[in-house]
Amino acid sequence: MNRTSLHDLHDVELAAQAAAGGRREYGELVRRHGSAVRGLLRRMGASPSLADDVAQDAFLQGFQRCAEFRGQGTFAGWVKKIAARLYLKRVAREARYVAEIEAEEAATPVDQAGALDLDEALKALNETERVCVSLCHGAGMSHPEIAAAMNLPLGTVKSHVKRGLDKLRARLQPAASGGRSAHVG
Amino acid sequence: MSADEFDPAIERLFARAPRMADDALFVAEFRTRLEKRSRWRGVALTGAGLIGGLIAVREGINLNFTGGEAEVTTLGQGAQAVAVTAQGAVQSGLGGLGLDSLGLGSIDLMSGSGMAAFWIVAGALVALLAAGAVRLSQDI
Repeated sequence: MNRTSLHDLHDVELAAQAAAGGRREYGELVRRHGSAVRGLLRRMGASPSLADDVAQDAFLQGFQRCAEFRGQGTFAGWVKKIAARLYLKRVAREARYVAEIEAEEAATPVDQAGALDLDEALKALNETERVCVSLCHGAGMSHPEIAAAMNLPLGTVKSHVKRGLDKLRARLQPAASGGRSAHVG
Repeated sequence: MSADEFDPAIERLFARAPRMADDALFVAEFRTRLEKRSRWRGVALTGAGLIGGLIAVREGINLNFTGGEAEVTTLGQGAQAVAVTAQGAVQSGLGGLGLDSLGLGSIDLMSGSGMAAFWIVAGALVALLAAGAVRLSQDI
């Protein structure tokens, strides 16, 4: 199969061929969605090198489990969930998360000119809030799924997501209400 | 913007993948890792298959010898009983000797077929190994 036809195939078709051992087809999927997975991990707070490392592991795991992907949802969403769980396992080993909601407030001031992008706005959140919001809105995980993955009570997860969204709204809303769309780098 | 409007807006922002300058490098690294892993997997599977095959052949040969001996013993006992009934005490002794030689003959026969099976399976394994080596060299 040549490169042009790989470009033409849908993710589900590529995944089906990858499940049968098609490494080139899976490589095309990685090319399409690699940056999305890496971006999510960075938004969750991973350093660039750690994000890349976890993303590679997630894609490798995805290749082994490709037969499980049957087209429910997007392929990117499916791999993002794998990557998010792998990242959480890594940081859990380092015991970086605490269950308590930290009373940490934004360190950077609100940019009224609306030049903030999502990545900048996420810096206003504490680590746990950022991870919860990223898992919820970036990886498409439900609150119970996040609670299970982070080993946190469901109510705590909901609180983190709500607080995180409130902070994001406070930072991004001026841009939206000012008629400017938030720029995502 | 209300919370109901804001949630989808956030999801749209998250859905926009940031462009990264080293995307091509990331994909190239991944492809290399995938190829390497597949190669090692092939080697591991070939090795495991060979070891498993050798164990199976060894067990098969052991089983043949054991089964053959048991078969010979049963056959000898049955034949001896028939001989005792039919021909009497003297003839049964001769018959017993005859059966002994038949028994030895059976063991030889079983050994012969066991060796033949061994060489057939060994040949098949060598062919399998050669095929695995060819495939591995193609992968590399």
